[in-house]
Amino acid sequence: MNTDIIDQEPKLLPGDLAIWFFIFMELLVFGIAFISYAVVRVQNEEMFNQFQLTLNTELGAINTIVLITSSYFVVRAVHTIKKHGDYIGCSRWLYAAVAGGGLFLVLKSFEYYDKFSAGISLSTNTFYMFYLSLTMFHFLHVILGMIILLAIAIKAQRGGYSASNHIGVESGASYWHMVDLVWIILFPLVYVMR
Amino acid sequence: MKSYYNIHTIWIALILLTLSTYAMGALGFSGLPIVIVLLLTAAIKGVLIISEFMELRGVSLLWRVIMYGWLWTVILTIAITYAITI
Repeated sequence: MNTDIIDQEPKLLPGDLAIWFFIFMELLVFGIAFISYAVVRVQNEEMFNQFQLTLNTELGAINTIVLITSSYFVVRAVHTIKKHGDYIGCSRWLYAAVAGGGLFLVLKSFEYYDKFSAGISLSTNTFYMFYLSLTMFHFLHVILGMIILLAIAIKAQRGGYSASNHIGVESGASYWHMVDLVWIILFPLVYVMR
Repeated sequence: MKSYYNIHTIWIALILLTLSTYAMGALGFSGLPIVIVLLLTAAIKGVLIISEFMELRGVSLLWRVIMYGWLWTVILTIAITYAITI
């Protein structure tokens, strides 16, 4: 098959249409949360700048790289099943992506442990309220994404997907990339920009 | 094969852009020009994820408008709020 041929018709969305409606809804919620953070910051600039310095930017950056790499593994999984029909290879890439998600959760838990040990909670101040609620909401999405990817990896390992039937892999991949996309904005917004 | 190679390049580019964001924070850079650079970096990363990782390049205009519209609305609104305060 010549992949250089440019189709006249637009491509279909990768994966199931239903997952895309779910993704759009999630993005809407995260978008409102990010804008709320930025708007509330206008009235509390000094406080936000002061307490932002207490965040662990190193861990934030490492976690960004971990999520990007995990997303890259998912791209490889989709490629492996789509182009080669290699379901075992696909499942291995997906397990690697799930491990990446696990590492993200572990590093984030260290960060939370550090904050909670210092007596910081949602009610400490407005900055920490946003920091904790935004990152914890994202944390929950990482867990959900990992569950989805794990289910797909197990099905792939059992030969449930092929070169002609991989819509499930693409659906899970799209959700995982959404989790990555959201973090790409969350990291500079909450940890770096001042 | 060509697109396969591009995915590696995009992965590396995303990591390098993340390191540049981290470096600006670690060096204590602040102010509106820096905020704009950081937001543009995030926007470039977002575009790469949407077009290459999510594979939305070439899908119907409606889906691209929704995804890129979300990205740029969020980025521009954040930029405006920082422009007000700085």
